[in-house]
Amino acid sequence: MISVKKVNNRPLNFLERIYLPEIARGLAVTMRHFFKNLFSPKNILTIRYPEQASPLPGNANLRTLHRLKIREDGSPKCVACFMCQTACPAYCIRIEAAEYPDNTVEKYPAVFDIDLSRCVMCGMCVEACPEDAIAMDTRELPGGALTRAEMLLTRDDLLRNLPGEPSTLGAANRLANEYLEGKK
Amino acid sequence: MTPFFEANRDLLIFSGAAALKVLVFMGGIMGFAALLTLAERKVSALMQDRVGPNRASVFGFAFNGLFHPIADAFKMIFKEDFMPARAEKLLFTLAPVFALFPVLALFAFIPFGDYVMVYGYRLELQIAELPTALFFVLALSGLAIYGTFLAGWASKNNFALLGALRGAAQMISYEVALGLTLVGLLMIYGSAGLQDMVRAQGKLLFGFIPAWGVVYQPFAFILFLTAAMAENKRTPFDLVEGESEIIGYFIEYSSMRFAAFMFAEFIEMILISMLAATLFFGGWQVPYLYETGFILPGGKALALNHYLVSALQVGSFTVKTVFFSWFLLVVRWTLPRFRFDQLMGLCWKVLLPLALLNILVTGAVMLFSGKL
Amino acid sequence: MPKITIDARTIDVPKGTSVLEAAQLLGVYIPRYCYHPRLSVSGNCRMCLVEVEKAPKLLTACSTEAAEGMVVRTDSEKVKAARRDVLEFLLINHPLDCPICDQAGECGLQDYYMDYSRAKSRFPAEDKVLRQKRRALGPHLVLDNERCILCTRCVRFCSEVTKTSELEVMERGDHSFIDLKEGKALDNGYTLNIADLCPVGAWTSRDFRFKQRVWFLKKAPAVCLGCATGCLMEAHYNDNTIYRLVPRPNAETNTWLCDRGRMTYKAAAAGDRLSKGVIKNGLIDLEPALREAATRIDEAKDAAAVLGSPWLSVEDNAALALLAGGMKTENYCFDFKFETGIADGILVNKDPSPNAAGAARVKAASGGLNFEEFLARLSGGKIKLVLTEARAAGLLKDALKASGARLIVFANNRGEIPAGAYATLPYASYFETPGTFINYQGLERRTEPVVQAPEGVKPLWQVVNKLSAYSGASLRLDSAEDALKGLDKK
Repeated sequence: MISVKKVNNRPLNFLERIYLPEIARGLAVTMRHFFKNLFSPKNILTIRYPEQASPLPGNANLRTLHRLKIREDGSPKCVACFMCQTACPAYCIRIEAAEYPDNTVEKYPAVFDIDLSRCVMCGMCVEACPEDAIAMDTRELPGGALTRAEMLLTRDDLLRNLPGEPSTLGAANRLANEYLEGKK
Repeated sequence: MTPFFEANRDLLIFSGAAALKVLVFMGGIMGFAALLTLAERKVSALMQDRVGPNRASVFGFAFNGLFHPIADAFKMIFKEDFMPARAEKLLFTLAPVFALFPVLALFAFIPFGDYVMVYGYRLELQIAELPTALFFVLALSGLAIYGTFLAGWASKNNFALLGALRGAAQMISYEVALGLTLVGLLMIYGSAGLQDMVRAQGKLLFGFIPAWGVVYQPFAFILFLTAAMAENKRTPFDLVEGESEIIGYFIEYSSMRFAAFMFAEFIEMILISMLAATLFFGGWQVPYLYETGFILPGGKALALNHYLVSALQVGSFTVKTVFFSWFLLVVRWTLPRFRFDQLMGLCWKVLLPLALLNILVTGAVMLFSGKL
Repeated sequence: MPKITIDARTIDVPKGTSVLEAAQLLGVYIPRYCYHPRLSVSGNCRMCLVEVEKAPKLLTACSTEAAEGMVVRTDSEKVKAARRDVLEFLLINHPLDCPICDQAGECGLQDYYMDYSRAKSRFPAEDKVLRQKRRALGPHLVLDNERCILCTRCVRFCSEVTKTSELEVMERGDHSFIDLKEGKALDNGYTLNIADLCPVGAWTSRDFRFKQRVWFLKKAPAVCLGCATGCLMEAHYNDNTIYRLVPRPNAETNTWLCDRGRMTYKAAAAGDRLSKGVIKNGLIDLEPALREAATRIDEAKDAAAVLGSPWLSVEDNAALALLAGGMKTENYCFDFKFETGIADGILVNKDPSPNAAGAARVKAASGGLNFEEFLARLSGGKIKLVLTEARAAGLLKDALKASGARLIVFANNRGEIPAGAYATLPYASYFETPGTFINYQGLERRTEPVVQAPEGVKPLWQVVNKLSAYSGASLRLDSAEDALKGLDKK
């Protein structure tokens, strides 16, 4: 069923019907903006991204630039399980796994690349991560690069902790802590 | 001095002067058109509280976007020159030429100054003096429809054809109105030569009002501007392009072929500005400026050098052209597009009767004032 | 012939068939961990519990023989509850380290949990019994006892198939774990089968470890060319790289695959893979190398010889036979006699070449010298140039050295090139190009390309075709099958 709503617009008066005064009014508005901005550009709203960035509102809850969390011993929390690479709908993650010779955690990412030029910021990788190792909570907006190379985040770009970390969540973290205790 | 040169001295000087004028005038118009592409983006940006293009730079100097027309030109040149497989090859290639040629040819009749004496020769500041220039202007602008229509038809694309059909209907309709709005001017000036018209506007009315066309024919000016903007196919008359729905007659064009259409549009804008200035705003005339210098209504006089006077006149014409170009930009970014029925209604039910009425009133006034 | 009813469907099965196998015949899948069709039944995992009418308790389908008039239900609530409970037991001490476990994606625990349980664990992670994690056992395997569910498939494999009995379950109850017996080493040549057999991630392959997640792998049928047994196998690959080879069980030849056969994929992606020609010791582009080889062949005229190879497919041998015909030489040989038969009682053949029988087929069609005659001619100095495949050239080693004849070989890898070879031409391996092989039983085995050859490397028949064009005896082969056709004509 289509519901029909009748809109009763006010009929145009004579001056509006001849159109020219209304055109003049419209032109006055745009010209006012034109001259105002021509002589004092302070009303221009443009933010010159990427040189400038607008600050995110404090309560903004959104997906921002990725990061990989770090454990207490400085190793990446990521165990290269490939879940994020599997979940990624944009195929932007490339991982190469390697093995610790002695650590109980056994596995770590030797290569962890995120190609931001492909990334769609969907957050699937964060959802998929069983180790709570990847997060999109840096509150930095990616992009604004001039070359493709700048859009490629490597493992070292990604590895960082936020204040209040490292956290001890995640199964592999338990193993890592056990390993550290064993060393003591 | 060879005998040949002796024998053809006048012809050679005339040809040389004509070639020089073409080079200078056309070069200026091309440069202005390029700047207009930037101006369009900058003006619209300022009207909408934005900065507009400001990134193209040479050695890191952007000059607030001044290099964008150059960057655009390079981009246009290096784009793939695409032609649909089923397109009508010859007409597809010719269409941009048809679009560009008439608008460029029309500049030949526009006087951009009075005259300059160089080494005893009188150099008319108009490429071709033609007593019937106004009719020629109308005739040539009628040709521009071919560019639009051939492009749309030769592309073998439904959207292009739709745009072309709209274009043909719109441009032919408004051509009638455009022609009729100018009849009043013809009646007043009694000449179809543009230089004659401008010279006639150098007089004063009641001793102090410059006798510009707009003073005699204010109504015709509004009608002319409306019809001319419609001929130009820009918003609010851009049904032909309709970029939010059909992209229009040049949808299949790319690279320099597309650039030709785009350039034709901007050059046509300059042409309209120049025609408006020439026909209604005194062309190169500066109020109270005569060949010998300023003579104010009170009788005060300021004698000026001949070259300075010429420079002032050319400058006046340039300023008027720039103003109208800017005005057209502002209108294009202020008004929304018409619906097609509104477009046609405006032409046939409003402009055409009003133009006829204007002719009637003009005739009546002339008859009773005894000027006829 | 007992008649048994499973889930309201009835089937006659041979006597001695277990309920699990009978269900399989009916297409009813019963989950299992310890049961394996080629190993003895141990019935310890309890996953295959089914409800049998008149039986007081649930019975294990793998160890219950089908009897006349037996009525079995595999989908009753009781069975479902049993499966859920068995999984809960098995998962009590499981470390849940799937993120770092190579088995993830093909793990029995994961699969059955998703299919039959999906229950939340009632045991806190802190209470899990921890056992020994990663430990390398033998040259090919890694053992993680924490993940083990003690199905004893590995123990049974070592005692029943290889009969080496290296493994045993140590201790009892919660403390039991799999370990090597005193003084044994896990190095019986078939150890990687244990990684395949293990239903969980306790045994994983050291070679495949962390290289690739299994769900990224694509599968393609392949044939092992390690010996004349010609085992069927499956190549698992991704992004043009083979990551592992696993057996494709079949009634004729193999259920298992030997460790050496599983490693044959490495040569295809090895660093010394040839993609250019070699003249003496210097690398040179393929075209000039081909031209040089063709010139030498033309020079030698009828003193040139072609030796086929039991390491090449039937098609490629046929192309070589055609080339010999085009060269108008009588010195060609496709006769290779190896002793055949299973050497170790499991899979490895006495004949180290995969296609001696295929070469014999080419000989039957095109004739040629016996191998002894060929050797005699070579030693006698009648042969001045030999064109053959690298490994076949090894058969002529001493005679070549003695006669000083020039040797032009086809090779995949630099390491294969025999000492003293004059020119070497690269060709695509049989992971990259199709080919037909005939194993010691006379069974025809067809390989299909799994990955793409390195750039510029062509199948051998194409190389031969080009060589023939340069030496003026153009064969004009358009496909490998063309070579076979040409052979029939002869």
